Amino acid sequence: MTFLKAPHWEWYIVWYFFLGGIAGGAYFVGAIADNFGGRRDEEVAKSGYLVALPLTLICGILLTIDLGTPTRFLNMLRQFKFWNPMSIGSWGIGAFGAFAFVSAALSFSREARLVWLRKNIGKVGSLFGFFLASYTGVLLGSTARPIWTDARFMGALFLASGASTGIAAIGLISYLRRVELGESWRKIKKADSFAMAFEIVLLALLLGTLGSPGRAIWAGPFAAPFWVGLVGIGLVVPLALSLVLKPRAGQAGLVTAMASILILVGGFALRYVIVFVGQS
Amino acid sequence: MPTYAMFTDTSVCTGCRACQVACKQWNELPAEGAEWTGTYQNREHFTDKTWRLVRFVEKADTKGEPKWLLMSDVCKHCAQAGCLEACPTGAIHRTQYGTVMVNQDVCNGCRYCVSACPFGVVTFNHDTGRVNKCTFCNDRIHNNMPTACAKTCPTQSIQFGERSALAAKAKKRLADLHEQGVKEARLYGVDDDILGGLNAFYLLLDKPETYNLPPAPKLPERNVAVDSALSIGSALVLGLGALVAFRERGSASGESQEGDGQ
Repeated sequence: MTFLKAPHWEWYIVWYFFLGGIAGGAYFVGAIADNFGGRRDEEVAKSGYLVALPLTLICGILLTIDLGTPTRFLNMLRQFKFWNPMSIGSWGIGAFGAFAFVSAALSFSREARLVWLRKNIGKVGSLFGFFLASYTGVLLGSTARPIWTDARFMGALFLASGASTGIAAIGLISYLRRVELGESWRKIKKADSFAMAFEIVLLALLLGTLGSPGRAIWAGPFAAPFWVGLVGIGLVVPLALSLVLKPRAGQAGLVTAMASILILVGGFALRYVIVFVGQS
Repeated sequence: MPTYAMFTDTSVCTGCRACQVACKQWNELPAEGAEWTGTYQNREHFTDKTWRLVRFVEKADTKGEPKWLLMSDVCKHCAQAGCLEACPTGAIHRTQYGTVMVNQDVCNGCRYCVSACPFGVVTFNHDTGRVNKCTFCNDRIHNNMPTACAKTCPTQSIQFGERSALAAKAKKRLADLHEQGVKEARLYGVDDDILGGLNAFYLLLDKPETYNLPPAPKLPERNVAVDSALSIGSALVLGLGALVAFRERGSASGESQEGDGQ
């Protein structure tokens, strides 16, 4: 397949896929906590919104830098091709940024009407959060590149990773904000354990349906970041810790923060392996 | 408007590379220096400055005698073009003559098309930060002139014309060759089985793979629907998981969330 050309999407894109996943995941998990959780979960939601906003801004910067001439990003807005992941992605990240901004701003108010507004905006914004965390995988799947073109489930997997890293970011930021979450620490752990378990299922489905070309992911030069970074540090260790460790009340935040760092490393390893394996 | 096409009959190509030079000349493409490719071919593949490329394949025939397979390769201007579908800006568009063209003023260098071309034609130009490929001599065909490569070809290995007439010509040529005993001759891209039909199609003397052509290329964008559906399924599962995790009640700490969440 040497006659195919690589798009040379490198570190800017790896970081974008990673941070975009966190932003989308943190937002929709935050909005779900906001709408269906208790009073303490409003702080969880606030952490989610506060993670999503700056990361979205960084994502936009990464994408425009990658174009070489940043103003050319505007060319993306000449068209709206709804079947084209790159096209709707460009519009989608802008729309998501607007939701992240409004939600983050409203999360500082306790006034009933504004809280009501924030919760309902969160419901709609979540759809864009799901989109931002997943479309990048769909985008890679709709190329002619080896592995990418045959790997289904990439959008689904990126979304699961976006959820697990998004919840991890919520945990980490909540710890750094020194908010007292009480019972919500356990909810964060539960939600993240579920996302990671589902991520493992999707990873197995992706590799299973991909067949022998998938060896390039888990047996070639990417074996180390795949097994150590993604599977080990990113999924198995934090899942095992969440089963084994029963932190005392005062230490739940610290334990969550430590596990969060591992999960984030795993999410980065996933984007690194997938982005580069399709271009090597 | 007619749909134009180019028919490259590799059985009469002599490898003179006049087409490659004419393309460079007309399109003002600078020299790139020589590249050792292990054959007489210069440039291993299309670049941002090489849009016509004569492929040289040295292969032993059935008697063990070395023989040349020569083929002048170019952008296929596919009826179902992966690059065109991928382009988010509209820079890549189909002209009134059915050809696929990159508008240099609009391209923003996102490189999605580079990854979406099943033939590795579209190339990123690091000088301009945009992508380049064969224009099907857009300026010439709009002035009733054939493409530069076809015009210059001394053996009529490259022919330019209205697509349906050229397709008929290609099929006639194939029938003649089969009659003469050239059993391995075959057409590539004339019919719509390859990406809806190519507007640059070929008569080959060996398997497509021998010429570095994919035997059955597919439109990359066919995957969008399935991948999107799987992503939506994933979103439902993850959303439900988060909902259950945060909605849980009656836990050990005795915190009641009744009534304060909605």
